[in-house]
Formats: sequence, C-alpha cells, structure tokens
Amino acid sequence: MSLRLQTKPLLLGLGGLTVVSVLLSLTLGPLNLALVDTLRALAHLAGLPVTASEQAVLVIGQIRLPRTLLGIAVGAVLAITGVAIQALFRNPLADPGLIGVSTGAALGAAFAICLGGMAAPAWFQPYLLSLCAFAGGVGVTAIVYRLGYRAGQTRVGIMLLAGIAITAMAAALIGLLGYLADDATLRQLTSWNLGSLNGASYARLWPLLLIVLAVAAWLPRRAAALNVLLLGESEARHLGIEVERLKAELIFCTALGVGAAVAAAGLIGFIGLVVPHLLRLLAGPDHRLLLPASLLGGASLLLLADTIARMLLTPAELPLGIVTALLGAPFFLYLLIRRGI
Amino acid sequence: MSRFAAHSFSCAKALIAATSLWLLAQTSQAAELPQRWVSAGGSVSEWIVELGGESRLVAVDTTSQHPASLAKMPKIGYQRQLSAEGILALRPDLLVGSEEMGPPPVLDQLRRASVRVEMLSSKPELPALENNLKQLGEWLGEPVQAQTRFAAFRDDLNNLSNRLATNKDAAPRVLLLVGGAGDRPLVAGSDTLGSWLLTQAGADNVATHQGYKPLSSEMLLGLDPAFIVIADRRINGPAAAQALVAQNPGLAGSRAVRENHLLPLDATLLVGGLGPRLPAAAEELAQAFRPNLTATAAHKP
Repeated sequence: MSLRLQTKPLLLGLGGLTVVSVLLSLTLGPLNLALVDTLRALAHLAGLPVTASEQAVLVIGQIRLPRTLLGIAVGAVLAITGVAIQALFRNPLADPGLIGVSTGAALGAAFAICLGGMAAPAWFQPYLLSLCAFAGGVGVTAIVYRLGYRAGQTRVGIMLLAGIAITAMAAALIGLLGYLADDATLRQLTSWNLGSLNGASYARLWPLLLIVLAVAAWLPRRAAALNVLLLGESEARHLGIEVERLKAELIFCTALGVGAAVAAAGLIGFIGLVVPHLLRLLAGPDHRLLLPASLLGGASLLLLADTIARMLLTPAELPLGIVTALLGAPFFLYLLIRRGI
Repeated sequence: MSRFAAHSFSCAKALIAATSLWLLAQTSQAAELPQRWVSAGGSVSEWIVELGGESRLVAVDTTSQHPASLAKMPKIGYQRQLSAEGILALRPDLLVGSEEMGPPPVLDQLRRASVRVEMLSSKPELPALENNLKQLGEWLGEPVQAQTRFAAFRDDLNNLSNRLATNKDAAPRVLLLVGGAGDRPLVAGSDTLGSWLLTQAGADNVATHQGYKPLSSEMLLGLDPAFIVIADRRINGPAAAQALVAQNPGLAGSRAVRENHLLPLDATLLVGGLGPRLPAAAEELAQAFRPNLTATAAHKP
C-alpha cells in the first residue's frame, strides 16, 4: 500500500466519491425514488421550472436533503479535526476524543436529557440538548487546555493525561446521571450516545454548517505550518512558526467543530480516526493535500454509512454510530495488522 | 297488479333507497376513517387489537409484543427512535402512539408529509385510559365497543377493590422487581405503572422512590417485603423467581423467599400505559396476596 497518489487525481477521485455518495444518500431510502425523480425534485427545489411529484419534493426537501447536508457537515468536520488533532499530538492514532470534546458533549447532553425537563421553558426545549452538548464539548476542552498550559506553553503530554482524567470524570458523571434517570430517560441517553442523522432539520443544520465552513476554511490555511510541526515543536519554533498560537488554534477549531457535530448528531466514532489515517496511507503526510482530502473522504464515508444505517432495517433504522464503528474498527484493525503500525 | 302488490312494491323501493342511502353514508364514513395504521407503543397496539383494529395495522414498534400475532408485523424500531422515511414508506394514514413516541423532529416531518400523528396519554390513571379508548374508538369507527371495553375495565377494577375493601387481611407489603434473568433487578417506585398495579391488587408498595431504580440486596432485605413480584423480561413463569434468588443470594433469607412468596408477572404488562390485560393481572395478584379473598362476583369480562 505504498502507492502515493498525485494531488490532482486523488482530490478528483474523492470529489467524485463525494458526489456519488451524495446522490446515493438522496436517492436511496425506504421510500423508492428513481434517480430521475430525485434530480427533478432537486431541480424543482432549486427553483428551476421542472415539474416533480409532490411526494418526491417533500421527501427530498424535508427529509433527505437536510439529512444529507447534516451528514456532509458532520463527516467533513470530524475527519478534518481528526487531522488537526493527529498533527497536534504528532501521532496518527490520536482522535478528537483525546482532548475531552466528545465526552464533554456527551456530559452536556446527559444533563439536558436527564435534568432538562425541569429546568427549561417549553419553547427552549428543542434547542436545549444541542446547546448543552455544544457547551459541554467546548467547556471540557477548555478545561483540558487550561490544565495543559504551563508558563506560557501548552504541554501536549500533560494535556493528553489531563484529557484522560477529565474524560473519566465526565464518564462517571454521565453514569451518575444515568443512575438517577428513569428507564425511558436512560434509553434516550443510550440512543443519543450512538449517534444518528435521523430527524435532521434545517433549524439545527445552519449553525453547524456555519461552524463547519469556518473550520474547513481555516485549517487548510495552516497546512504548511502543520507540516513543519510534524518535525517537532522546537524545530517548528526555530523555523519561525508560532507554535503556541498554532496549538491553540487547532484545539479551538476541534472543540468548535466536533462540539457542533456531536451536538447535532450525537457521538459518531471512528470517522475522525479512520479517514485521516486511510488518506495518509494513500496520499502521504502532506497536510496541504491531507486536509482537503479528509474533508471529502469524511463526508462521503459518513454519507455511505448513513445510507446503510437507513436501509438495513427498514422501516426502522440503525443508529449511525453503530455502523461507523462496525465498519471502521475492523478496517482499522486490518490496517494495523497489514502495516504493523 | 293489485293495490297490495303495488303498495308493497313501492315500500320495497323505499326500503332499497333507504338501505342504499344508509350504505352510502356508511361507506363515506368508512372512507374518512384512517385505514392504514402504524402503532408505536405496547399498550396502544394491544388496545387497537382488542377493539378489532388489527387488520388496519400495517406496522408496530418494538415495544408492541402482545398479542403474539403482532410479532409477524413490520417493525418500525423503538418508539422513541422512529424514522420518518421508514414510516412514510408504509403509506400510513395514521401514526398513533404514547407520549413516549419520538423524536419530535421526526414526528414533525411525518406531519408535514400529511401523516396524521396522534399521541395518547400513558399516565396510569383511569381518566387517561377513558380518553384514549374514546379516541381509538372514534378513529376505528367502533365508539360503542370502545366505551363497553372501558366500562368493563373499570368495573373489573371496582369489583376487585370492593371485595378487597370487605377483606379483613392487612394489605401485604410488596416489592415489584423488573429484571432480566434475575440479574440486577430494578425496583418499581411509587409513581410507576407497576406500583399502580400493586395498589389495584390491594398491596402496599414498600418502595417509595420515583421510577424504576436498582436497589442492593441489603436494601431489599431491609424493606422486608412479604411478597416479591418479579417481572422478568427474559424468563417467564416461576423460573424467573429461581433466577432471582440464584443471582441475588442475599435475598435467600428474606421473608418473601423463605415463605416462597415470589410471584412472576408478565413484563410486557408494564410497558406504556394501562393495557387491556391489567385488570386480570391485578385480580391474579390479589388472589395470591390474600388466599381467602372472595372469588370474582357475577361480573365476568
């Protein structure tokens, strides 16, 4: 697997894959719609003078399109922040979860699910879960970052350990909330923890899309600096990189991006780990290529996994986190064994 | 043609006209009733079947396990994790479920796709049940049947509580455990359907917490129940009691175990509001709690 693809063919290939997965995600579903109907409905929704069946317009416009957009945003941001975290820790096995953002978001969500009913007014209820999850993710990451910050310097090693400790503590708090919860609440908690794109709506989509666009626009600008960081922190400093600032940016982008993704779709594992890893094997460690490639790869892999999650058990559906982990983990093991990382 | 014949002929004509009008009215009314139903909620599905609506069900959720004939139906997943498109693909006229049905965004999507979405209360209270049955009866076109069924449900419970009132035995102290193969049982707290059932059966629920919570064997011993009712999700019948004692040796010394006062209960009875089998279950429990309770009076469902 030592083939290194050229920049252009790889990005074109991934772009093609993304288009195909978007079309699959829009066309496949428990309701049978032909590709032609899907395209007609899309054209109709875009305001073109095309007639489309009312049902197709409704299904595409209200159910599949927001879901597909959510999938693109979540997959892209999980993969690209995976690259950022792996660069930060200079370890290809790092995952955004290391700095506590996923568990923090899960803790926020657990608070909202278990205690939200009594605290928040009714009009606020639909937004409560997402906001708590986002705040939890960003908040816990901020604590981990602060703990790793010593004398004007972010110690990545200390951050890693602090992340592990804070994650364990957050997990214990989630356990406590789960213990206090009744059966039905517990069930809701479990299903949230497994992640899903089910019930995607435009209202929840826009904030996420804005954050993802900002992160996706920012990180590639720092690609050259990330390449230098691979050499080591002091080397990068000698080469004129503002390392502390770069690290802070990486953590900020990850907290924001993953926090928003988890808030919108729950915990979805392995995308942030497997996609950058796989693409590093295909494209090499150059971040100028790796970042945009992961963006496209993450979006398409998540969409494909979601399509499987939707189709497998119709008319019910599988939580997406189960599919990504079931597909991602064995693949990751295969890579481990093949390459002997 | 004699006058009599002519008269009867015109009578027959009028009768045919009236009959066809009536038939027309019936069919037009039937056309307005939802024909394809999806039900999400154990007791809701059970009531639909009870009121003769099984043929209209096109799919149910995973909590709808009773009666057994529902097992063959397409499953739309767990009631709280419905999928809009999966349900739309079944082309239902009506999605009916308990308050636990969700998630809300999916229900919104279904409403926008002009599926009628109706939620019924899952509160363990008779007024809630009366209202639920009234609604179901209307939607099924069986209002009288629904009313009769509710009256029977209420009368059975009243009948039992009257006999309990004349019974001189003290209300037994009872714990209701929900478990899987005896492992880590959850205790039904004071606001649960399980507790409601114990009260109807003339027992005193010794657990005072809210909801279903795990309690340690020591706590269970400390509460000293005279009876333990076991709703086991994996084992039915008396084997559930054996599994409970095997998994929780600490219970072996308790009064309920020593006196072999362990009663199995069908766990599907406790899912999602008052279901049609509850009066019978309450009767059975009451008989077990008080062996000298007078048998059911004249009224029989």
